[in-house]
Amino acid sequence: MATEGQQHPIKIYLLVWALLFVFSAISYASDYMDDGVIRTSVILLFMILKAAAIVAVFMHMQWERYALIFAILLPPLALMVLMTLMAIEADYAWATRVEYMGEPIAPEPKPPPTHRH
Amino acid sequence: MTDATAPSTTESILTSTARDWSSDVTTFKGVPWGKAMMWIFLVSDTFIFTCFLVSYMTVRMTVTDPWPNPSEVFALAIPNELFGWQFLESPIPVPLLLIAIMTFVLISSSGTMAMAVNMGYQRNKKGVVLLMSATALLGFTFVAMQGYEWSKLIFEEEVAPWNNPMGAAQFGSFFFMVTGFHGLHVSAGVIYLAIIAYRVGRGHYDKTNFEIVEITGLYWHFVDLVWVFIFALFYLW
Amino acid sequence: MATAEIPYQETVPLHHPKTWLGKYVFSQDHKVIAVQYGITAMAVGLVALVLSWLMRIQIAFPGFLEGFGADEYLSSITMHGMIMVIYLLTAFLLGAFGNFCVPLMCGARDMVFPFVNMLSYWVYLISVLVLLVVYPLMLFTDIQATGAGWTLYPPQTITAGTPGADWGIVLMLASLAIFIVAFTMGGLNYITTILQARTRGMTLMRMPLTVWGIFIATFLGLIAFPALFVSAVMMLLDRLIGTSFFMPAIVSLGQKLEYSGGQPLLFQHLFWFFGHPEVYIVALPAFGVVSDLISVHARKNIFGYRMMVWAIVAIGILSLIVWAHHMYVAGMHPAFGFFFATTTLIIAVPTAIKVYNWTLTLWRANIKLTVPMLFALSFVLTFIMGGITGLFLGNVIIDIPLSDTYFVVAHFHMVMGVSPILAIFGGIYHWYPKLTGRMLNDTVGKIHFYFTFVGTYVIYFPMHYLGFVGVPRRYYETALGGHFPDWYPVSAHHLNIFITIAALIVGAAQMLFIYNLVHSYFKGKKASDNPWGANSLEWRTPQTPPSHGNWDERLPTVHRWAYDFGVPGHDTDHIPQDVPRKESA
Repeated sequence: MATEGQQHPIKIYLLVWALLFVFSAISYASDYMDDGVIRTSVILLFMILKAAAIVAVFMHMQWERYALIFAILLPPLALMVLMTLMAIEADYAWATRVEYMGEPIAPEPKPPPTHRH
Repeated sequence: MTDATAPSTTESILTSTARDWSSDVTTFKGVPWGKAMMWIFLVSDTFIFTCFLVSYMTVRMTVTDPWPNPSEVFALAIPNELFGWQFLESPIPVPLLLIAIMTFVLISSSGTMAMAVNMGYQRNKKGVVLLMSATALLGFTFVAMQGYEWSKLIFEEEVAPWNNPMGAAQFGSFFFMVTGFHGLHVSAGVIYLAIIAYRVGRGHYDKTNFEIVEITGLYWHFVDLVWVFIFALFYLW
Repeated sequence: MATAEIPYQETVPLHHPKTWLGKYVFSQDHKVIAVQYGITAMAVGLVALVLSWLMRIQIAFPGFLEGFGADEYLSSITMHGMIMVIYLLTAFLLGAFGNFCVPLMCGARDMVFPFVNMLSYWVYLISVLVLLVVYPLMLFTDIQATGAGWTLYPPQTITAGTPGADWGIVLMLASLAIFIVAFTMGGLNYITTILQARTRGMTLMRMPLTVWGIFIATFLGLIAFPALFVSAVMMLLDRLIGTSFFMPAIVSLGQKLEYSGGQPLLFQHLFWFFGHPEVYIVALPAFGVVSDLISVHARKNIFGYRMMVWAIVAIGILSLIVWAHHMYVAGMHPAFGFFFATTTLIIAVPTAIKVYNWTLTLWRANIKLTVPMLFALSFVLTFIMGGITGLFLGNVIIDIPLSDTYFVVAHFHMVMGVSPILAIFGGIYHWYPKLTGRMLNDTVGKIHFYFTFVGTYVIYFPMHYLGFVGVPRRYYETALGGHFPDWYPVSAHHLNIFITIAALIVGAAQMLFIYNLVHSYFKGKKASDNPWGANSLEWRTPQTPPSHGNWDERLPTVHRWAYDFGVPGHDTDHIPQDVPRKESA
C-alpha cells in the first residue's frame, strides 16, 4: 500500500519527549505527598497525560484519520465497564469478609518520607 | 486518496469517519496492512494488560491483610561511599529510586524509537539502524534492571509470588506476574527491534516505505504505555 | 462507487509452493487452511460426541459402563463442554468458515498475511493435541482429565477431590492459552482482510452477512479471549507455584491449605467476561451464514439488510456488558442482578429483530427446500426455542430456582450448541460444491437433516421438564444405592432413558454426514460454478474449486449488494455482485 510517509517536525518529538520526563518527575514527586485525594488525583492525572502524549504523538494517533482513531479508542470502553463493576464487586466482597470474619488487622500508617534504611 | 494520511480540515469528524467506513477497498485510508494489524493486536493486548490490572485492583481491594507500601519496598539508598571514597555521611534512602531510573530508561528508549520512525520516513537507513539499536539497548538495560529489582525483592525482602513477609501475599503475586508479563513484552520487543534493525541494515526493506519501522515503533511505544500504567497503579498508588 | 484505483492486493506476489508438502500440508492458501481447520475441528468434535454418549449411558443405565466412575463422568462433562464450545464451534465457525469465506466473499486473493494464517492453524493443532494428550496419559499414568466443569471455577478446580486437580487442569489451561494464541493470529488476519483488503466497489454495506457475522465475532474474540488468557495464567500460577489469586483460605480434606486471601469470584467475572461474548462469537457467524442461506434458497433479498448489520453490531457491543447473568447464584454484589438482567433483556431486542427479519425474508418467498435451506430453517426454529428459554434464565427470580438444573442444560444446548451446529451443517452443504467441485448427496443429506433436526427436539425438549422437576445437572448418579431420592419421580428417570436412546441414534446419524462428505468428494455429482444461483463473489471465481489466488489477473469489481434476487423488470432471476448496474437496469 504505497503511502507517502508521514513527515513531522522533529521538534514535536523532542518536546513530547521532554514533557514525558517532566510528567514522570511530577508523578514520581507525588510519592513525597501525603496520602489522600490530591495525591491520587495527581497520580491519575499524570498517568493519563503521559499515556495521551505517547499515544497521540509517539504512536502518531493525532495524525491518523478519525476512522482509525475511533476503531482503536472505543473498544477499551468495555474495560471501563469491567473496571467499574469490579470495583463495586471488590468493595462488596471486602465488606462481606469484614462482616463474617471480623475487622482486619489495621494496616500500619504510611510513614513520612524518611524511608527505611 | 490524495494526501490520505492527513485528516481533512473541511470534513467534520463524523462525516470523515462515516465516509471512510462506507468506502470500498480499505477502511483505514493509507494505512498499510501490517500497521492495521499491529493496531488491532495492540487493542487485544490492551485487554490482556487491563484484565491483569483489574484483577490486581479487585484482589487488592478485597484482601484483609495489610498491603505493603510500595514506595518503601522499592526504596533504594544512595550509597555513602564508592570504591572506598566516602562522599556522604550516611546513605540517603530514596523511595522508588530504581523504578525512577527504569522509567527514565524506558522513556528515553521511546524517544529514540520515535526518532527512528522519523528517520524511516526520511529513508535514512543509517539513522534508523543506529536509533533502533539504541532503543534495543535501552530496552535491554530496562530488562536487566528489572532482573536486579526482582532479585533484590526475592533475596533481600524475601518476597515470593506465594509469600510476602510484609502483609498480603498477593502483593508479591501481582508484582511478579504483572512486571513479569511486561518484562516479557519488553524482551520480545528487544528481539523484534534487533531483527528489524538488522534487516533494515541489510537492505531488506529498500523497496518499501520503511513502514515496518513505524509498526515496530507502535509495539515499542505500547510497551512504554503499559509501563506508564504499571508505574502509576502499582508503584505509586 | 467503484474507484479506478488498483487494489494493493492485486499486485502482491502470492507464495507459490513447489512441493507437495508446501501445497497441501504447510499451505498458505486460505482454502486449504480452512479445510485443515474444519477437519481438525470435526475430529475433536467426534471425541466430544463419544464423551456425551458415555455420559448419557451412565445417566440412563447407571453401572452399565464398567470403569466409568464419577471421576470419568466429571472429566467427560468438562472435556465435552470445552471441546464443543472452543475447539469445535469457535474453531469451525471462525477457523474454517472464516478462512474460506472472508477472502472469497471480499474479493481478495488470500488473507493479508498468509504465513501468519498458516501458523494459526498449526498452533491450533498443537492446542488440540495438548488438550487430548490427557487421554493416552490416563491410560498409562494416574493423570486424570480435569473434572471441574467447563467453567473451571476455583477453588474446587485445583483442590483435592476434583478429578485432574493436579495435572489435568494444567493441561487444560495450557491448551486454552495456546488456543488463544492461535486464535489471535487467525483473528487479526480476518479483521485486517475485511477492513483493508476488499476489492473495488466492495463497501462494508455490500458485504454478505456471513462476512459481517465473522467480522464482529472475530473482533469480539480478540477482545474477549484476553480475559480467559489472563484467568488461565493466574490459575496456572495458583496451581503451579502457589499464588493465591483466586484461592481463599480454605480447608480441604481436613487440611488447611497454604492459600489465603484470594478472590474466587474474580475468576468467575473474568471467565464470563470472556464467556458471554464467546456465546456470540459462536452465534454471530451462524447468524450470518443462516441469513445468506435463507436469502439464496428463498430466492428473495434479505429483509432489512441494514437492520441485520446493525443488529449484529449491537449484539456485539451489548454482549460485553451482560456477563454476570451467568453468576446470579454465585454470591456477587446483590445489585448486579438487576443491572445484568436489564442488559440481558435488552440484548434480546436486536436478536429478535434478526429473527423477525429472517421470517419476513421467507414471507411470500420462492422457498426451495434444499438441504442447506432445511438446516437454515431449523436453525431459526431452534434458535427461537433456545432464545425464549434464555429470557427465563435472564431474569434473576426465575433463574435462581432453575440454576444448575437440566433446564439450563436444555437452554444452552439449544441456543449455542445445536443451533450453531445446524448453521455449520447448512454452510457445509451450501459451500461444499464450491470447495470441492462436487455436490453432496441430496438423499443422504435429507436423511441426515431429519435425524438431526427431529433428534434435537427429542433430546432437548424433555430436558426442560426435567429441569422444572428439579433434576440437577452434572450429577454422576441420582439413585443412591439403587434408590431414587423422594423428590425424584421415577418418570424423570424414564425420560432420561428415552433421551439417552435418542442421543445414541442422533449421534450415530452424524456418521451419515461424514460418509456423505467423504463419498461425495470422490463420487459426487459434478457441481456447476454456481449451483444455487447465489450472488456473492465466491460463486464468481473463474475456476471451481477456486485456484490458489482465487481470481484471474484482475480482481472482480463489485457493483451491488449480494441479495439481488428476482429484481423486477430483469430477465434473470438473480444478479451477481460483480454485474455492472448499467447492464442490468
